[in-house]
Amino acid sequence: MVGVKIPTDLWDEDTEAVITTWLVSDGGQVNEGQLIAEIMVEKVQHEIRAPASGTIKITQDAEAVVAKGGEIGTIS
Amino acid sequence: MSTATATAVKVPQNERRFTIARAMAEAIAQEMRIDPKVFVMGEDIAGLGGVFGNTRGLYEEFGADRIRDTPISETAFMGAAVGAASDGMRPIVELMFVDFFGVCFDAIYNSMAKNVYFSGGTVKVPVVLMTSTGGGYSDGGQHSQCLYGTFAHLPGMKVVCPSNAYDAKGLMTQAIRDDSPVIYMFHKGLQGMGWLGTEPGATVHVPEESYAIPFGKAAIVRAGTDVTIVGVAMGVHNGLKAAEKLAQEGVSAEVIDLRTLVPLDRNTVFESVAKTGRLIVVDEDYQSYGMTGEIIASIAERDISVLKASPQRVAYPDIPIPFTRPMEQFALPNPDKIVAAFQAMKGNKKWWV
Repeated sequence: MVGVKIPTDLWDEDTEAVITTWLVSDGGQVNEGQLIAEIMVEKVQHEIRAPASGTIKITQDAEAVVAKGGEIGTIS
Repeated sequence: MSTATATAVKVPQNERRFTIARAMAEAIAQEMRIDPKVFVMGEDIAGLGGVFGNTRGLYEEFGADRIRDTPISETAFMGAAVGAASDGMRPIVELMFVDFFGVCFDAIYNSMAKNVYFSGGTVKVPVVLMTSTGGGYSDGGQHSQCLYGTFAHLPGMKVVCPSNAYDAKGLMTQAIRDDSPVIYMFHKGLQGMGWLGTEPGATVHVPEESYAIPFGKAAIVRAGTDVTIVGVAMGVHNGLKAAEKLAQEGVSAEVIDLRTLVPLDRNTVFESVAKTGRLIVVDEDYQSYGMTGEIIASIAERDISVLKASPQRVAYPDIPIPFTRPMEQFALPNPDKIVAAFQAMKGNKKWWV
């Protein structure tokens, strides 16, 4: 099982992000490198890609506030 | 949240859940690849990808000649779009907020909308004017309007208002291929931009291959037998939520997404109301002289005998949109107002009293 984590180098400041949209469904199949979610930091959008291939379990819904390094789902 | 096992059966193979913003950009890119006459211009649409995300990736693929950032002069670039279209190009021009139409409306309604007629059909004006609508996030009365009725009222323009990403892509493809002006109105609250308060129901599976959705075909997005709820864009999502609430009271609501205001699929609405006998029209545009009255009149003038109760409208009150959050939220249509409108129809009691 691999955690889907917010990369620590997407933006400079130590501000929190909001998950704006999940682009895959909970329980769906994803491929490594696939765009799976969008997050927003102070009106700038960033893309989250799948760190592995497999079945995704979403653990943080859209609208959730997340920090750098935070886990928003798992892939198994 | 639903569990993985519960949703696994519903997830399509190779699922591509797209926001409306991504769906619009994909349709534009696919048409630009096959038609060198298509180009895009507007404010902050190139490097930034549009303030609402709907031109993301286009500048990187097509470059500065075809993805053109303009100066902040709607007057100038709207005129340029009409000129380019009249001369054989197929411009897609973004008016960042529909509220800004005032400074460029001569080019829109006296030239873009009328040149096809004035020339006896010899001049085509294939412009797609894409523009953001809607509020709900406290951006004030000059950044929050819908103005659907303003554009739909004046002849010569087709008016498109998608409620979800699947429709957004197919309607954009259709708009770009149309030889006449199309006003493509996308609601900010459906774009998938977090700061605008995104409606999750707008983000749906979008096939990768190119497809077009014909104009003037409404979609029945929920079938029902007791009342017909009609809307576009955010109104469809409010209607679906109201239908869910009504279902808990044993009321079966049918929800219709008009998808385009011009041409208008009056027939699908009539056939639904002929079945249910009750009609509620939902609109985030101003109530008076607008879409809600047009839909109700369409039914009344065709056959008033199908109506079991007076039709109701849940629209934006005839006031400039307040900046203050509690005041704006108080004025906006919402599912509870639709449910109240239905109860008023059943009880002959005016819901706003």
